[in-house]
Amino acid sequence: MKVKLWGTRGSIPAPGPETIRYGGNTSCVGVTLSDGSLLALDAGSGIRSLGLDLGPEPTRLHVLLTHLHLDHILGLAFFAPVFRPQTEIVIWGPASPDASLRDRIARYISAPLSPVEVRELPCDVSFRSAPDSEWEIGPARIRCASVSHRGPTLGYRIDDGDSSLTYIPDHEPGLGADLDRLEDDWISGFALARGTSLLIHDGQYTDAEYPDHIGWGHSPLRDSLAFARRTGAERTILFHHDPMHSDDFLDRFGVEAKERWAALGGDPAAIELAAERAEYELPVRAPRAAAPA
Amino acid sequence: MTQRPLELILARNLMSALSTPAFLVDEGGILVFYNEAAGMMLGKRFEELGKVGADEWGSLFGPFDESGKPIPYDDLPLVTAVRSGRPAHAEYEIHSSDGASHAVEVSAFPILTAHGSQGGIAIFWPAGTNGNGAQPA
Repeated sequence: MKVKLWGTRGSIPAPGPETIRYGGNTSCVGVTLSDGSLLALDAGSGIRSLGLDLGPEPTRLHVLLTHLHLDHILGLAFFAPVFRPQTEIVIWGPASPDASLRDRIARYISAPLSPVEVRELPCDVSFRSAPDSEWEIGPARIRCASVSHRGPTLGYRIDDGDSSLTYIPDHEPGLGADLDRLEDDWISGFALARGTSLLIHDGQYTDAEYPDHIGWGHSPLRDSLAFARRTGAERTILFHHDPMHSDDFLDRFGVEAKERWAALGGDPAAIELAAERAEYELPVRAPRAAAPA
Repeated sequence: MTQRPLELILARNLMSALSTPAFLVDEGGILVFYNEAAGMMLGKRFEELGKVGADEWGSLFGPFDESGKPIPYDDLPLVTAVRSGRPAHAEYEIHSSDGASHAVEVSAFPILTAHGSQGGIAIFWPAGTNGNGAQPA
């Protein structure tokens, strides 16, 4: 399984000279499964670059949306494959009693916000509410679960062979709770991330910033580290950078994350900040990096 | 291992911050949490109690009707709420751990989600108060 980060920013694209190294595009992760099947996790502005990178292929791909906040879907109408008649795209996302996934996405891909309508997209596109039970895409088993964020939001786990990727980009598991005191099954997202090979997790705020953002749906570093430690993730990538965080700021933040991870007993090499275009390969049998006890 | 439904997790987190006694049951009627205020009322913290079956937790605090007769489990507001999918309200007496009787009002409501009922919440108020524990003027 190959993983490439195409958009690591949260909330709103933040291009500019201050965000060149970690990137200014919003959430999108490209995943190539062991049989070559392609997934896009979220469709923030980063999916535009993914679409350009794919070239005229493939003819079939899946887009797994965690939720429908604009920073996670705004790239859909600029994703080159949707304008190719030969392409089949399946878009998965959270169910809602309000309206179908298609209708909710069409609120964005429609006038006056968009020059095109969903029904006009040349590709063969279908919309599916992510099921409660595990399902398969190619050789991978996909699971999702509702996680603590604002509005219906999913986290995903993709198991391909012995490797697994868990993607929870918008997550506030410590809202109203001390993660160190909760039992495992009372921690939002725990079952998805337990023992995963690679965890891509919300890391939007510093601990000092968090008190002004409680309930906004994102984690302070304290909780990101606690979640990674509790779940025993082999490797963790802190994702969904705040648009106000410059490269220099994130450099310092990354150093702090490694130091605090080491203080918890973990391997500093097993945690890092997400950087746009970073690539990861998860072997069939991933070696276990040391995680804090 | 499976995760508790998110709605229960969020309900527990909210209840943890409340100063009114509150109880949380899952879709099967199992008592899965009560907060510190409820623990003070019962004289035992939830962490000390452990898992309590559907037909057992009612006896933690009585309850009793106005004539002093025990109220059957099936008639408790929380049970009614979870089973019917509708809110329920009742007034009755409970016995705290020191044996004292307290008149309380209980409001219970089901936690209904896109996946069906996930359980319910019951919140207790001392009878005749404004909800802050103070007697009405």
